[in-house]
Amino acid sequence: MHALEVKHLKKRFDGITAVDDVSFTVPEGSIFGLIGRNGAGKTTILRMIMNIFLPDDGEVLVRGNLAGNEFREHTGYLPEERGLYKKLKVLETILFFAELKNKRGKEVEQLAVDYLKRFELYDRKNSKLEDLSKGNQQKVQFISTIIHDPEFIVLDEPFSGLDPLNTNLLREIILDLKKRGKVIIFSTHLMDFAERMCDTITMVDKGKVILSGNLNSIKADFAQRTVKLNYGGSIDFLHGNEFIESVTDFGQSATLKVKDDKYIKEVLRILVEKNVDIYSFVSNEITLHEIFVALAGEEQDGINGKGGAHV
Amino acid sequence: MFNRRTFVIVKRELQSRLFSKSFILMTLLIPLFMFGMIGFQTFVYTYDSGKGTTLRVAVPNDQIRERMQDSFSKLEVVKSGDYKVVFDTLSGKTAQEYVEDYRKVLVEEKLTGLFVVPDSALIDKRILYYSSNPNNTAVFDKVRSSLNEVLINVFFKDKQLSPKEKEFVQKRVNVDGFRINKNAEIEEESAGNIIISFVFTFFLYFSLIMIGTNLMRAVVEEKSNKIVEVLLSSVSARELMTGKILGTTITGLVQMAIWLSPVILLVTTNWFTLPKEFVIKIEPWVIGYFLYNFLISLVTYLGLFAAIGAMFDSDQDAQSGIWPIMITIMVPFFIALGLVQRGDNDISKITSMVPLLSLIVMPARIALVNVPWWQIALSIAVNLGTLLSLFPLAGKIYRVGILATGKKATYKDVVKWLKFKY
Repeated sequence: MHALEVKHLKKRFDGITAVDDVSFTVPEGSIFGLIGRNGAGKTTILRMIMNIFLPDDGEVLVRGNLAGNEFREHTGYLPEERGLYKKLKVLETILFFAELKNKRGKEVEQLAVDYLKRFELYDRKNSKLEDLSKGNQQKVQFISTIIHDPEFIVLDEPFSGLDPLNTNLLREIILDLKKRGKVIIFSTHLMDFAERMCDTITMVDKGKVILSGNLNSIKADFAQRTVKLNYGGSIDFLHGNEFIESVTDFGQSATLKVKDDKYIKEVLRILVEKNVDIYSFVSNEITLHEIFVALAGEEQDGINGKGGAHV
Repeated sequence: MFNRRTFVIVKRELQSRLFSKSFILMTLLIPLFMFGMIGFQTFVYTYDSGKGTTLRVAVPNDQIRERMQDSFSKLEVVKSGDYKVVFDTLSGKTAQEYVEDYRKVLVEEKLTGLFVVPDSALIDKRILYYSSNPNNTAVFDKVRSSLNEVLINVFFKDKQLSPKEKEFVQKRVNVDGFRINKNAEIEEESAGNIIISFVFTFFLYFSLIMIGTNLMRAVVEEKSNKIVEVLLSSVSARELMTGKILGTTITGLVQMAIWLSPVILLVTTNWFTLPKEFVIKIEPWVIGYFLYNFLISLVTYLGLFAAIGAMFDSDQDAQSGIWPIMITIMVPFFIALGLVQRGDNDISKITSMVPLLSLIVMPARIALVNVPWWQIALSIAVNLGTLLSLFPLAGKIYRVGILATGKKATYKDVVKWLKFKY
């Protein structure tokens, strides 16, 4: 049985279809990435999973049952737009969020104290949030998200707006939770980051799923037909070649996609014949970003292969 | 809707409102402000002793002039020297001709005013007053009795009236109000009920606006601070709104109970005795009704304030978006205040049974007049109906609004929101 199953979710806003028949599954004990450009519908999908938006159609199943209040109680959610009560004190804030998830008493207080010590915030436990630095406020936000020891953690663009220190901290938390068998679901437009952390991914574009599955097998599938080339000279003659499906030329490097993996050798032969200086010729590596571009096309902004957060 | 999660929100609201410094401050300040306002008016009125007022009184002949002089000299303001009055005879001049001579000093306010008693006044008691500020009723109030006395004395001078008869003629009519109630007892009316009606209206008005605006601010803050989505992953929008309104309502009721506690003690106990003219004659159920009505008003309006708050990202936008709601609080407030001055009238009768307006007009009416039972029952039904039909709409606007970002919402957008499935 899947930990989480999303079936045929649909959501329209004012005539615009934000999410169009989206289905995917999340295996137990894994890190799942929902990948797509800004505005692809990721946040709307996560909000429907969290029952913040009602879907126009479709359903979300948790271990075979419809997701309801019980699921929310055992889930930690960190939205992209996050905030805390400025006037509330640090410990009060954490305990307030714990109580919303039905956790109170000595045990959870002790856990809060442990987390505060671990994140070096213990001496600020009675400070008001507004007196904390932005980085420290983010730490309080993390603790509030996981204070109730959730089984599912849903993170919407978790690394946006984090300083490098907290980026590392959150990465540690995520890996730690994974080790403890929790299910982590996050959305991101940072391909780099998804590539390094995810076990399973679903790519969405314009509200539709364009690719879904285990990251390693997806990459293996795509890599077989892809060649990454570093060269000197001109490779213009490759355009329109009978073996090649597409050429993405950057001048000194290029990504070639062959029509079948058996043509890779042919391509190398042609390059040698045409006297191109070959610095590297790698035929079994492809990045998630390249896969995304191959499927959804390049766009000016919104998708980010490098840059942003470094994990 | 009412469950553990709602309770957590209620608890949080109470912590941030009921146990806050601003709650204690406002609970003390509002009554001070109210009584301060009344006191200030009285102060301004009495402070204006009229010191430096100079008057000229022109009468038809010397005989009347002497009587005037005599009568005016008995006035407090003349004795104290605050009013300087000069008397004159018209000796055949018309009022216009006479005034012409004094136009300059009147315009320059060296002379406060000029009374002309023409011959005709001896028959129709109409005298003329010329001044650059002819609406200064304080002057009339102070000298009216003297002018009246002289005119009456001149009118009756040839008839032999006994002092008693003279006194009767000079006396003004005094009206004593009596309250007829259903128990067929007739009680002398006092200023107490007018004060209570005023107090009811004032507290209701201030509380609704103050508490409503507070809640609206809190909603805007949660929305603009982006706390709301974190909250919504644990509670539903319905639970969140219910919790917030419930917490705020409890705070409002506690505040109102504190404000009304002197009135409650006056009505239910005999620990205090008020001067006869201020005795409060309301039955205890009226206080109960008022608190009930306040509860319904709060829940109705808090729903509306929360919905408006959810539409906007900033306080300023919310403040300017709230005007349709404010109108429905201010209009009945002025109708209720008008009741105190002019008594029950068609407008107050009708509005006391109109949705929303009823919430403020009816309590003021009940404190002042005996409202028929059917009207009270109708207004209760109307108010409950209003609450039940407005609240789901407000809830929907709130649910959609708190997560809506981007361009500023308009009322046209809100109509669209009502059709969304959320």
